[in-house]
Amino acid sequence: GDSWGIFTFLCAALCNLPALPALNCSEELGAGQSIQQTYDLTRYLEHQLRTLAGTYLNYLGPPFNEPDFNPPRLARAERVPSATVDLALWRGLTDNARLAANYRAYSRLLCYLRVLDGQVGTAELRHRLAHFCASLQGLVLSIGGVMSSLGYPLPAGPAGPPAPHGAHAAPNDFLKKMDDFWLLKELQTWLWRSAKDFNRLKKKVPPAVVTLRLEARGF
Amino acid sequence: MFSRWNWVACGFYLMLNICSPDASGGLVQSCGHIIPESPVLPLGSNFTALCILNESCLDFGNIYANQIIWKVKNRVVPKEQYREINRTVSSVTFNDTSSLATPLTCNILADGQIEQNIYGITVTVGLAPEKPKNLSCIVHQMSKSTYHMTCTWDPGRHTFLDTKFRLRYSWPEDIFPDCIPKGVNNSCTFHDVHFFVNTEIWVEAANALGKAESDPLILDPVDIVKPLSPQNISVIPEVLPTALKLSWENLISHSVIRLKFNIRYKILGDTNWMEIPAEDTASHRTSFSVQGLRPYTEYVFSIRCMKEDGVGYWSDWSEEKTGITTEEKPSKGPPIWRIIDASHSPASWTVHLLWKALRPFEANGVILQYEVTVRDKSSLSGPLKKYNVTSTNHTLQLPNGTYEVTVIARNSAGASPPSVLLIPANNSKGPVTNLRTLPKHDKLWVGWTAPNSYVLKYVIEWCLVSSSSDCIIEWQIAPGNVQGIDLKGIKPFKCYLITVYPLYADGQGSGQSVKAYLKQDRPSKGPIVQTKKVGKAEAVLTWNHLTVDEQNGFIRNYTIVYKTIDGNETVVTVDPSKTEYTLSSLTSDTLYTVRMMASTDNGSRSGPDFTFTTQKFGKGEIEAIVVPVCLAFLLIVLLGVLFCFNKRDLIKKHIWPIVPDPSKSNIAQWSPQVPAKHNFNSKDQMYPEGSFTDVSVVEIEADDKKSFSEQDLKPFDLLKKEKSTSEGHSSGIGGSSCMSSPRQSVSDSDEGETTQNTSSTVQYSTVVLNGYRDQTPVQVFSRSESTQPLLDSEERSEDHAGGADSTAQRQQYFRQHGAQDETNTDRPCFERPKQITHADEGDLVGFVQLQFSGQSSQPLGLGMEKNIQEAALSNVFQTSTEGQTLRPETVEENPLSVDEMPKSYLPQTVRQGGYMPQ
Repeated sequence: GDSWGIFTFLCAALCNLPALPALNCSEELGAGQSIQQTYDLTRYLEHQLRTLAGTYLNYLGPPFNEPDFNPPRLARAERVPSATVDLALWRGLTDNARLAANYRAYSRLLCYLRVLDGQVGTAELRHRLAHFCASLQGLVLSIGGVMSSLGYPLPAGPAGPPAPHGAHAAPNDFLKKMDDFWLLKELQTWLWRSAKDFNRLKKKVPPAVVTLRLEARGF
Repeated sequence: MFSRWNWVACGFYLMLNICSPDASGGLVQSCGHIIPESPVLPLGSNFTALCILNESCLDFGNIYANQIIWKVKNRVVPKEQYREINRTVSSVTFNDTSSLATPLTCNILADGQIEQNIYGITVTVGLAPEKPKNLSCIVHQMSKSTYHMTCTWDPGRHTFLDTKFRLRYSWPEDIFPDCIPKGVNNSCTFHDVHFFVNTEIWVEAANALGKAESDPLILDPVDIVKPLSPQNISVIPEVLPTALKLSWENLISHSVIRLKFNIRYKILGDTNWMEIPAEDTASHRTSFSVQGLRPYTEYVFSIRCMKEDGVGYWSDWSEEKTGITTEEKPSKGPPIWRIIDASHSPASWTVHLLWKALRPFEANGVILQYEVTVRDKSSLSGPLKKYNVTSTNHTLQLPNGTYEVTVIARNSAGASPPSVLLIPANNSKGPVTNLRTLPKHDKLWVGWTAPNSYVLKYVIEWCLVSSSSDCIIEWQIAPGNVQGIDLKGIKPFKCYLITVYPLYADGQGSGQSVKAYLKQDRPSKGPIVQTKKVGKAEAVLTWNHLTVDEQNGFIRNYTIVYKTIDGNETVVTVDPSKTEYTLSSLTSDTLYTVRMMASTDNGSRSGPDFTFTTQKFGKGEIEAIVVPVCLAFLLIVLLGVLFCFNKRDLIKKHIWPIVPDPSKSNIAQWSPQVPAKHNFNSKDQMYPEGSFTDVSVVEIEADDKKSFSEQDLKPFDLLKKEKSTSEGHSSGIGGSSCMSSPRQSVSDSDEGETTQNTSSTVQYSTVVLNGYRDQTPVQVFSRSESTQPLLDSEERSEDHAGGADSTAQRQQYFRQHGAQDETNTDRPCFERPKQITHADEGDLVGFVQLQFSGQSSQPLGLGMEKNIQEAALSNVFQTSTEGQTLRPETVEENPLSVDEMPKSYLPQTVRQGGYMPQ
C-alpha cells in the first residue's frame, strides 16, 4: 500500500514538475538561492507575526494579551501541528524529513489561519492576516521549491483541502480564542525553528552555487 | 400601365412591411438584413458584407438583389464592388477597411427611382492590441510596513478601440487579483506585495480584435525595493575634534531587509559634497562615526540606503542634518607685521603691531585672546613684557633698540605656535629686486626677484594713494619660496603704492616700492592751462599736475593743442613731469586758443580751452618809438623857447606893453586942483583916451560875462571875485577895483578927508599899477601905510554902518546922483588889498569872510540885488550887474571926463561921487 502511495506521489510530482514555473526558476537560480530566499522569508514571516500576534492577541482581549499568559495546551489543540519535538530528535532527522515536516506543518497551519482570517472583525487586522496568509502560502511554495531543487519529493498529505471548519468548531468562544492563541504560538515556534533549519541548510549548499550567486549579486 | 400599378403596389407593400407591426418578427418586419451584423474590423483588412432580401418581399414587390445599392455613410459604393450572388443576395467587398465608415447600408431602388433603405450596420475599424513591452516594476516603501509595487510598460500602438490592460501577478499555484489601471494604460500599482517569493508579473491587453500578453517578469519583489531614507538623524560630537557620530533610524527591520548606506557630508555653505567610502557603510547599521573632519567646523550630513546586496534601488537622500566638531588649538600663529612711527621723538618709536585673524580652518575654534610678548634683544637680561589683547593690533612705545615680538593665538582648546617678528627693521639686508605688477582680472599680481640669501617670508604692504585721505596700509605675508602674490580687493583706476619687504631669519630687508594700477582709465579731468607770460611771438603756458585721484592711471604725457581762430592746429607733446611750456613762433596780435590734454595708457582727456592774444609790439618796441618822439618834442619846445627869448623885445612890445608909472610922474608937485586935472590930462595924453577906453571895454566885457554867470550860480565865488577885482584894477586902473569894493566909500569920515587928501589920490594910482602887473601887495602895503589914519576911520565907520538898508540907500543915492568924488572911491580901493593880504597871511576862511563882508556893501551883493532890480525900473543902466552898469557909465562918463577930468576918469569915481552929497 505504502509503495503504491509513494509511487503515485512520485508520479504526481513528476507530472506536476514542469507545470511549476517556480520550481523551474529555482532550478535555474540554484538551490542555494532558493534556500536563502526561504530563510529570508521565514525571518520576514517571523517579523510579521511578531507584530501581527500582538495585534491579534489584543483583539482577543485579556487574558490572551497578557505577556505572562501561558495556558496549558488543551487536547483539542493537538490537531495543530506542534513544533515541540525534542530538539535533539529534530536535528537527528534528515534534511528531507525536516523539510517535509515543515512543508506539512505550514500547509496545515495555513488552513487554520485562513479560517481565522474569515472570522476577524476589523478590516485592518483582516488585511494583515490576509497578507500574512499570502506570505505563509509563499513559504509553503518556497519549501516545496527547495525540496524540488534538492531533489526531494514533496509530501503528499496536506495537498487536500483543510479539515472542514464546522467539524472542529470550538464549543464556546473562549475555547475558540484558546485555539487561536495556540495557533499563533505554534506558528511562532515553527517559524523560529524553520529559520534555524534553513540557516543550517544554507550552510550546506555547494560552494559553487554560492560563488555563482555572489557573482550574480556583484553584477 | 400594369407595370406602374405593380410598382405602386410594391412600394405600398414595402411600406406596410416596414411600418406595420408583425406578430412573428417584432415591431418591424424588415425586407432584408446584412451579414455580418455590426462587425469590428481590423484596420487594413478586406471585408465582404452580404445583403439578404426576404423572400416575401421578392414575391410581392418585385425586388431583387440586382436592385441593391450599398452606401457608406450616404455615399454610394461603386458598383464594381457589388456581386450578385443569387436572386436575393448581394455582396459588397472592400479591399481596405480604412475606406469604410459607419453606417454601411443596404438600399434598394424601388420603381427605378425611389430609394428605400433595407438594412444598415455599424462598422467599427480598429487594431488588435500590441504586445506590451518594457515591463518594469519598482516597490516603493510607503511606511514602515507598507510597500506598493508599481509596474509600468509600453502599451504599444493606438488601437482605436476600447482596449483593456490588466497587470497580473502570480505565484506558481496562486493567482492574485489583477491590477486594473485607472485613467492610464501604461502603469498600475499593487498595494499588497509579498517578499521573498518569486513572482511572475505580466500585462494583458485585450480588445474586440484580440488579446496580447507581455513577456512575464519573474522576480522577488524584495529585489526591486526602493526603501524610505533613514529618519531622525542626529549628529553628536565625538571626543576627537575631527570626528562626529551620526545615528539614525531605519524604517526597514533588518530581519526583513538588511541595508547598506551612503553618507555624504560637506562644510556648511560649501556646494560640493564629500562621501564616506561605500565599503565603510556597506552593512546594516544605525550609526556611523565620521572621521577626518576639521575642528570647530559645522558640517551637513545626509544619508541614503538600499538593500545590502545592492539589488534594488537607492532611497532618496535623507533630510540634511548639521553638526559642529569640537575645538582644537590653533594650527598656526597669526601672521604679524608692524608699522614703526619714529616721528614723535628720535629716541623712541611708536610701534603698531598688526596681525591678522586666523582663518577658521587655522583658528580651530573661537580665538579668545592673543598673547603678545616683547623681548628686548639688545639687553640679554631685558625683562619680557607680556600683553593679552583681544583685538588684532597693539601699539607699543619702545625706546630705540632691537626687539623680538611674539604673538600667540589662544582658544578654549589651547594656544597656537608663536609668530615671531623682529623689530626694528634692520634694513641693511638685501631687498627684493625687479619688483613689478601685472593685473589679473580683479586681482593685482605683484612679482619680485628674490634676494640671494634665504628669505623666511615676504611682507607685502600696499595702500591706496589718494590726495584726499591718508594711505591706509594693508599687508599680507607670503611664504619665502614664492616670488609673486595676488592682491585682492584692489579697486580699479586707483593708484596703489606697493612695498615688498623680505624677512630674513635675523632681520628684515629694506622695502622696495612700486606704484601700480589694477586698471587704468583716462583721466577724469584735463589739466587747466594758463598763460604765465604772453609776448609778441611766444607765450609761456603753465598748469598744475592732476591730483592722484584725477589721474586714473599713469600720466604718460601732456599734449598741448593750440590754434588761431582760423588757423591750423598745432600739437605739442610735453613730458608729464613739466608744468610749464613755452609756445614760440606765434603770430603777433592774434587770438590763440590753447587746450591741454593729459594722457594715460587708456586714453586722454582735455582741459578747458584757454584763449590769449599775443602782443602787438615786442618788448622794447614801444620804448623805441616813444623815446625819440618825446625827445623830438622836447627839442621843439626848447627851440621855441629859445626863439621866444631871442625875440622877447618884439613879443613884449606886442603883448606886454610898458605901462607908465604914475608915481614917477611929477604930478605930486602940482597943486591939488590944478595938478589933478593936469595930471589926468597928462595921462590922457600919454595914453590916448580912445585906446585906453578900448582896452578897458574889452577887458571888462569879458569880465561882465563872467560875473554875470557868476551871479546866477555863485554870487560869492571867491576866485571869480578875485579875478574880477584884479581885472577891474587892470581895466580901469583903479576904477573897476573901486567899484568892486564900494563899501570903502560908505565911510562918514571920508567926506572931508577925501576932498582934503589929494596925496592919497596919487598913491592910489601907484597901488593900482603895482597890483595890476606885479601882483605884489607888499608894495601896495608899504605905500598905504602913509594913509593909515584914513583907513582906520573908514573901517570903523564900516563896522558901525553894517545895515543893508543904509547901504542900499547909499547905493541908490549913489546911482541917482552919480556923485563924482574920486578920492572917496580911491581910498576903499586902496584899503581892500591890504585886508586881503592879511587874510592871505592868515587862513583862507578868514579871507573868504573878509571878501564876503567886503562884498556885502557892493551893488552886486546878495542883499543889494533887490535894490538893483528896483533901481533898474527907474534907471535902465542899472538893471543888471555891475559890469553892465559900469560900461554905460563909462561910456557916458567919457564925454563927461572932458569937462571934469577927475570925475570922468574912472567909472567908480562916478558912483562914489554920488556918495559925496552925504
